Amino acid sequence: MPTPVIETLGLSKVYQGSVGGVPVLSHVDLTIEYGEVVALRGPSGSGKSTLLNILGCLDRPSRGRYVLGGSDVSGLTREEQAWVRLHYIGFVFQSFHLLAHATALENVTLPLHYAGVPRGRADETARDLLARVGLSHRGSHFPAQLSGGERQRVAIARALTARPPLLLADEPTGALDTKTGAEIMRLLLDLHKERGTSIILVTHDPVVADYADRQIFLRDGKVVDTEEAQVGARA
Amino acid sequence: MALGRETWRLALKLIVRQPGRSALTMLGLAIGVGAFIAMVSFGEGARKSVVAQFEVLGTNLIKVQNTTPAVNPRARPSIPTGDNEVKLIRREATTVAQVVPVARRAASVAWGGEQRPSYVNGVTPGYLGLHSWDVAAGGNFDASDLTEAAKVCLLGKTNVKELFGDRDPLGETVTLAGMMPCRVVGVLAEKGFSTNAADLDDIVLVPVTTYNAHLTDRPIYAYIEVEPLTKDLLDSARAEITDILRRGHGLEDDEPNDFSVSSPLEVIRAADRTARILGTLLAAIAGVSLLVGGIGIMNIQLVSVAERTEEIGVRAAIGASPSQILTQFLIEALILTMLGTFVGVTLGIGVATLVAQNMGWPRVISPSGVLFSAGFGIAVGILFGYLPARRAALLDPIHALRRQ
Repeated sequence: MPTPVIETLGLSKVYQGSVGGVPVLSHVDLTIEYGEVVALRGPSGSGKSTLLNILGCLDRPSRGRYVLGGSDVSGLTREEQAWVRLHYIGFVFQSFHLLAHATALENVTLPLHYAGVPRGRADETARDLLARVGLSHRGSHFPAQLSGGERQRVAIARALTARPPLLLADEPTGALDTKTGAEIMRLLLDLHKERGTSIILVTHDPVVADYADRQIFLRDGKVVDTEEAQVGARA
Repeated sequence: MALGRETWRLALKLIVRQPGRSALTMLGLAIGVGAFIAMVSFGEGARKSVVAQFEVLGTNLIKVQNTTPAVNPRARPSIPTGDNEVKLIRREATTVAQVVPVARRAASVAWGGEQRPSYVNGVTPGYLGLHSWDVAAGGNFDASDLTEAAKVCLLGKTNVKELFGDRDPLGETVTLAGMMPCRVVGVLAEKGFSTNAADLDDIVLVPVTTYNAHLTDRPIYAYIEVEPLTKDLLDSARAEITDILRRGHGLEDDEPNDFSVSSPLEVIRAADRTARILGTLLAAIAGVSLLVGGIGIMNIQLVSVAERTEEIGVRAAIGASPSQILTQFLIEALILTMLGTFVGVTLGIGVATLVAQNMGWPRVISPSGVLFSAGFGIAVGILFGYLPARRAALLDPIHALRRQ
């Protein structure tokens, strides 16, 4: 069997509060194969965001192991975490999070800049990606001059410039109307097919979740059985 | 880290795209640096101007006069300074270029039925050179006038104005002290006021021989002015003259001088010291404003870190390492600091030039002052840019992203 892109073993996260620790995640075991699209679902407070932060190397687990692309990344330093994010993980956020004072093209180029790719080649790559998401004519626009759907396309292009094997999308359609949201989802899936990028999709929306190959439910910091959770969710 | 030039380019872009914020950040430092350069220049300009005023007294000059008993009670009754002293110095001194006796009295000056009180100085022709005093019209009296005790005189500007108005005084005969007629051979250039507010132009100069023959009963001089051979010999000349006069007056070794030998250079040196202290004070005050400017940069940078939390979080999520974010903020601070410093230097030199023109003192821009303030400005930028930059780098990306 090939190495999965993500493997977690007994992943736990405890936030230190004033009265002892507050457990947010407990003993999460996950395996996500290369090229899978997985939806991560669960009510608010279920630990989705915490799990996503840990998977995105923005946070560290309190206990347990997190193996990304075959390497244990649970105990990396901040500099090492940044390197992993740069080369392994792309982020797409609900509120886009584009740099307001940078043009669309500059936003897309940013990861390559941090990776030390020379400007000419970085610009070329970014331009190709912008064209791929249908925004070749918008490169010199600032985020404020773009529509919500266009901004999310820029954000997707940016997440993919450094060719990461893993894309983490946190409510990518949450700030968009249904039609635009569907377009964005289609774009994500097309890119997933073209590039083989694994996608973890955090969403409340069952319609969006249905795009995924597989759904994982979280409740009270634990992965719960799919059926049970669905029954719970519908009850 | 393969950042370097590209990071500078991006930082510069961000600065240009937010002109308001950038200008505000630079303002404090620009004003601080500008104020420092201007203040140092004011101090130096004022000092030169003050020293120039004192130099009117003559920088290469020794004054010999008798001391009054009140000043030195142990001294013998003072021997009036007279021809004897002039002869002693002329005969014995080896470090001396010329000796100019100055006799002085108050006397009226009259012409064409008008009369006004003024002062008459009996001097030798060398007097004018010794005081770098020019003749505005006509000429100086000469050695033959001196030997012949000729009845000629030079009029100061005030006397010319008051008595002659617009008319030409050259060749006219004025009456001094109501008894001595003399011909006006020259008009003195305007000298202005002395440091103790006396009108230096309210004067008539006559040959000292003429003065002794006609304007006084006995040849006593107000003082004797001595010019040393060179400026460097000033102190040795003073010592030599003191020696000569002590011997001439037959003073015992334990007796104090019954005369004084002084030099305006002492006054000039004192004025220079005072002005320097004031200049240093100005520079110190300006230094504070420089510091405040630096703190301003730090404040705006700190606020900017708070303001740009989201941006920092996004950059971190994309994969910017803490050291890359640190570098970015430092470079931004550095660019702003250098721009601010440049604006400040320009501003400071501009203001210094303007004020120098208006105050009529020389514009003095000290290169070391410019270098110091520019260096200080940039150092402050790096130092105070580092703190916020470090804070930005240590920002937790999760929290940074959540805050929106």
